[in-house]
Amino acid sequence: MAYLSMGEAHRRITDYLGRFSDAVSSQDVASLKHLLSLSSNSPSLLSLADALNLFQDANRLIKQSDKYSQFAEIVVPLFRCLQNYKLNNLVDAYHAYEKAANAFIQEFRNWDSAWALEALYVIAYEIRVLAERADRELSANGKSPEKLKAAGSYLMKVFGVLAGKGPKRVGALYVTCQLFKIYFKLGTVHLCRSVIRSIETARIFDFEEFPQRDKVTYMYYTGRLEVYNENFTAADQKLSYALAHCNPRSEENIRMILKYLIPVKLSIGILPQDWLLEKYNLVEYRNIVQALKRGDLQLLRSALEEHEDRFLRSGVYLVLEKLELQVYQRLLKKIYIIQKQKDPSKAHQMKLEVIIKALKWLEIDMDLDEVECIVAILIHKNLVKGYFAHKSKVVVLSKQDPFPKLTGKPVNA
Amino acid sequence: MMNQGGITETLAPPGTNSLEDRHVVDARHGQPSSYSSSTVGSEASSWTPHSVNNSFTGNGYSAGSTYGFEQQAQPPRRDDMNSATEASSLSLGSTSVPQDYNGYVTYQNPTNSYGYGTTGYTGYYSGYQQQSNHSYSQPAGAYQSTGSPYQPLSSFQNTGSYAAPPSYSNTYYSPGDYQTAGTYPNSSYGSQTWNDGNYANFSTYQYPNYPSTSSAYGSGNSAAASVQYQPQYKQWTDYYAQSEVNCAPGMENLSVASSSNPQCPTPGVPDGTQASNSQPPPTAVPSWRPEPVSSGLPSQQPSVVASAGHDSYWKQHAAPGFQNYNSAAGHSAFYQPLDSKNAYGSYSDEQNSTSNQGPNLQYPVVHQVPQIHQASQQISPTLDPRRGSKVQIQTNPRIVSNLALGLTKTDKAGSGTTAVAKPAYIGVSLTKPNDKGLSSDASDPALKPATFPKSLRGYVERVLARCKDEEQIAASQAVLKELITSATADGTLYTQDWDAKPLFPLPDMDGLSNTFQSPSPLPTLRRSPGRRTKSRWEPLPEEKLVNKTPPLTAEPLKYGGYMNDRNRKPFVGNLESKDGLNTTSFLAVEQKTASFQKPFKRQRLSNSLTTADNGDASSDSDKESSLTAFYSGVMGFSNTPEERKKRESRSKRFEKGHGNRVEISHFKPKSAGSANLYTRRATAIVLSKTFEESGSKAVEDIDWDALTVRGTCQEIEKRYLRLTSAPDPATVRPEDVLEKALTMVQNSQKNYLYKCDQLKSIRQDLTVQRIRNKLTVKVYETHARLALEVGDLPEYNQCQSQLKTLYAEGIEGCHMEFSAYGLLCVILHSNNYRDLSSLMSRLSNDAKNDEAVKHALAVRRAVTSGNYVMFFGLYRTAPNLNSCLMDLFVDKMRYKAVNCMCRSYRPTVPVSYVAKVLGFAYASSVSGGSDEKDSDGLEECVDWLKAHGACLVADNNGEMQLDTKASCSSLYIPEPGDAVAHGDSSLAVNDFLARASS
Repeated sequence: MAYLSMGEAHRRITDYLGRFSDAVSSQDVASLKHLLSLSSNSPSLLSLADALNLFQDANRLIKQSDKYSQFAEIVVPLFRCLQNYKLNNLVDAYHAYEKAANAFIQEFRNWDSAWALEALYVIAYEIRVLAERADRELSANGKSPEKLKAAGSYLMKVFGVLAGKGPKRVGALYVTCQLFKIYFKLGTVHLCRSVIRSIETARIFDFEEFPQRDKVTYMYYTGRLEVYNENFTAADQKLSYALAHCNPRSEENIRMILKYLIPVKLSIGILPQDWLLEKYNLVEYRNIVQALKRGDLQLLRSALEEHEDRFLRSGVYLVLEKLELQVYQRLLKKIYIIQKQKDPSKAHQMKLEVIIKALKWLEIDMDLDEVECIVAILIHKNLVKGYFAHKSKVVVLSKQDPFPKLTGKPVNA
Repeated sequence: MMNQGGITETLAPPGTNSLEDRHVVDARHGQPSSYSSSTVGSEASSWTPHSVNNSFTGNGYSAGSTYGFEQQAQPPRRDDMNSATEASSLSLGSTSVPQDYNGYVTYQNPTNSYGYGTTGYTGYYSGYQQQSNHSYSQPAGAYQSTGSPYQPLSSFQNTGSYAAPPSYSNTYYSPGDYQTAGTYPNSSYGSQTWNDGNYANFSTYQYPNYPSTSSAYGSGNSAAASVQYQPQYKQWTDYYAQSEVNCAPGMENLSVASSSNPQCPTPGVPDGTQASNSQPPPTAVPSWRPEPVSSGLPSQQPSVVASAGHDSYWKQHAAPGFQNYNSAAGHSAFYQPLDSKNAYGSYSDEQNSTSNQGPNLQYPVVHQVPQIHQASQQISPTLDPRRGSKVQIQTNPRIVSNLALGLTKTDKAGSGTTAVAKPAYIGVSLTKPNDKGLSSDASDPALKPATFPKSLRGYVERVLARCKDEEQIAASQAVLKELITSATADGTLYTQDWDAKPLFPLPDMDGLSNTFQSPSPLPTLRRSPGRRTKSRWEPLPEEKLVNKTPPLTAEPLKYGGYMNDRNRKPFVGNLESKDGLNTTSFLAVEQKTASFQKPFKRQRLSNSLTTADNGDASSDSDKESSLTAFYSGVMGFSNTPEERKKRESRSKRFEKGHGNRVEISHFKPKSAGSANLYTRRATAIVLSKTFEESGSKAVEDIDWDALTVRGTCQEIEKRYLRLTSAPDPATVRPEDVLEKALTMVQNSQKNYLYKCDQLKSIRQDLTVQRIRNKLTVKVYETHARLALEVGDLPEYNQCQSQLKTLYAEGIEGCHMEFSAYGLLCVILHSNNYRDLSSLMSRLSNDAKNDEAVKHALAVRRAVTSGNYVMFFGLYRTAPNLNSCLMDLFVDKMRYKAVNCMCRSYRPTVPVSYVAKVLGFAYASSVSGGSDEKDSDGLEECVDWLKAHGACLVADNNGEMQLDTKASCSSLYIPEPGDAVAHGDSSLAVNDFLARASS
């Protein structure tokens, strides 16, 4: 690092202070948010951090001037944060940033217009990212990571500031999304409910009013929540909305949406094109789709086993596992088609032995009772139309549409 | 001792009668009137037989007129006290005894005056020092004035508070012990609110008397008396709690609402106190008077003297003093009984409150409450509405008595507010809000009652009350003299919490007094007075005599509180009483230790000696600390509010630190007989403190290592009893014994209830000793399995959650088996996607290869896919106890399966098939035998199907068939036949027993 003179350090600090106060007084969000954006690693901020480490008396500098001292509550901790950030003391940096953020929200509350929303977004983002990094540092040191939680409660405060009538309310969804990210990361998904409720029931929020990106993010997360709740119809709706409105160039975001949308679509009987899986690198679903197409139970099971960890982590394992019934349906349908080709008059009577034999070909060994049970479940769930005659061990299929398609409806319970 | 005596007497009328007679005489001598009055109420109800005594007390009644008398008497008492202090305690002893009586009377009067005057404290003090009468007349003003001076001077306030404390303690004690005090109150009772105040005052007076009786009384009187009282209180409380609950309650009642009844139990104590008081008063009075004369300063001086006296007191007590006390205690005890009776009678007659007392008497809890009330009263008076507060407090006390436990919170709040009467009151008597209101109200009435407790007087009275015979009284007086002189010399006469000051042990009576003291600590434990008293003390009846330390610990807190109260207001008397209790315990401890400290010194010494001592010391040293101590003390009595807790915790930390170590060191070495008892209690107290503190917030600050119990119990079998107090090492089994116990349980043929009980006690012992190792895991595993076998899910869940953390700590066990159980639990209970997938994603590969876990995962698959055939197949092959958990899901699964069949099968399904697929056959084959397996299963299946609304038809071969189409719409889930109102049929005892024994 080049030698930094005291004068240069002083110049940089006063420069920053001047820009900060100018940005606030002229309500220039664009430059203000740059001044707050820690993680941008902008050269100006980094050099400022160097200057601060050299010039230890920045606080006096701030307090000496009336112009700057009104922002002391924000800037002093912000400087401290910058110093620690530069020194990689992320926990301390987080503490300082949270202090600055609290002071900022206090100011923000007093501003009538929402001109500083962008800057608030930056703070909401920075505090979350910084908290995550601080938590990593904490857990590396064997301490319990709790900063993300603290960031969550800060954001709840911000949400409270925004979620009212007035021009600031359009910022609420951004904060909500940041909260979602925190809650999903922490595994405290149940906390989302209160935020969702205020967004969806409050009349002051017209959903379409919110910025597009926030709407997409919001729909993505709420869609995921619906997957957890096994509410596939709603999940499909929300995730489809997210997909449709997502910036097509944000491929990573689209992939994330598809990661949940595909299993949801599969479970309501809609299969994706292979190119889609290719394009978004979701090949783990390929075998599953294949299994559904072929009625290959073995393939489904092996695919599930192969990617079990991944599916479990993303939480779609249980959704995919339920596809088994559809695979059975497909298998029976194939048998039915073959029988029909052989002897159309008897095609609607399917002997249990045939099914067992087919399963054996798939290297799946099941006894009579079990297969009978599967068939009973298929009929019960309306995947097969017909009935089972216990005495003769025959599935009697309906002559009309014996294998109804799901066509967008989930398998009923 | 006296208290005990009194208590016992109350309990055993005959004994008490004799005692009473003596008392009566005493009462006649000294404070008959006051006693009679006070006791009249309380004892009247309980002790009607004591009517004779009452007649004695009749004097007390006259005492009611007493005020005049009392006042007059008081001066003498003071004189006596002074003389006593000045003169050799012993010489005073004998002579003083008579004087004491006079003094008692006077004291009582003063106390009355105090209570009335509220000037109370000042009055008390002044009364003590200068003119008891004056104090009466001036009580309010004097109290206030004294209050102010006191306040300015920490010592003063303290003394004031002390004095008050004594009164408080007296009242408290008096409730139980100090029904004699009650007599005092009687006069006060007459005035009602005033009476309350009076009671408080009386008690304080008595206390002072006690101290005075002991040579040191004058200075140390308040403290000493208070101390004694406290011990007595504790003892009484214990006694009360145990047998004398009545008395204790009475005490409380008295204190609270001039509850003469409460006093009745106390009467015995009061008698003792009175007797002691009568003697002490003279001694104390003189010393005090001179000083009081000057006004506030005098009081201070006296206090100083008192402190000096205390030192001497203690010292004397330590050696001869104790013995004397014992003797005195014995006397006092006798007297007390009499007094108490008399007082009761008088009370009842004189005061309306008797009725109140009656109720109070009945319940130990009440005692505690009253104490609390008193404390609160005292505090409140000390605060703004000193006078009013007193009165109110009294009223509050009643309420409080009811609310006592709940009050802790208020106490905390009170603590928060500072020693201010309001908070304290609130805390003590009512919930915070209530307390405040009460305190304010009380303050006004308090002024009238002039309830200022003369802690010193109370102390003296207590001391004297302990004395059963003149010898004891003389000895006590000597000690009191020393105490008082030393206190005066130190200038702590007024600052000291005489109420809190432990009574020096009487030679013979020490044990009793100690026991009494110990009871008082219980009250201090306000939170769960009834429970604690019972649970803690029941097991330790013997300990009572020996256990001074525990009371001490409890007392210190009170002491502090007293101090605060005193400092702030004279009314603190109530608080003081509490303090007095504490102090008494402390004193007792000190005495035991034989190290006599002046109030301040005491604190230090006490710290070194015991936690209780620490508490005292802290109170003395700092007002705040004293406040905290007070709060803590308050807490002890009732449930301290959070604030108090916090403060207490802070102050207690020190105490704990010192006290615990000290106590532990002291006690451990002693580890035999009485010493054991002491240690137990001491540690118990410490722990209880820590608990309270922890409640406030400082859990992490607690040095658990220092508090960890090492069991010494060699019994293999032990019933489980939920701890309501700190564990007693003597009832905790060490690890090797626990291992035997586990084996015993495992091999036991007895039913689950027995085993569960045993295992819970083992778990408790493990927890208490913080043993976390393989044995712990084994115990929890054993219990979890047993619980699963009988379907005791709540117990299982407890074990499972413990096991989870134990496994996480890396302790070996059947981890896999239990992770399988955990998995099954999630499946069967919540079965939601997120829980399941997060749980499954956390399973290690090892786990996934484990048979049990595999099985659990397969069950999960069967459940989520609704594959009933697979489910029941797995049910049949379940490893470990997986089937037990599956049992809980079987019915649901069957219902779903039949639903599914009805939908899918046409036209019919043979029931035999249903039975086979749904596990009926298997279930029956377990109990039935392979031959009848099918038929048995069939029968059961038919029953089950019918119960669920299925349509069954017989086909041509006579085989039962399920008519699927007809059943399709008729299936329903029947109301569980064994449904119970609370929704958990396993709680139905008969059913549970049947299952458990099978």
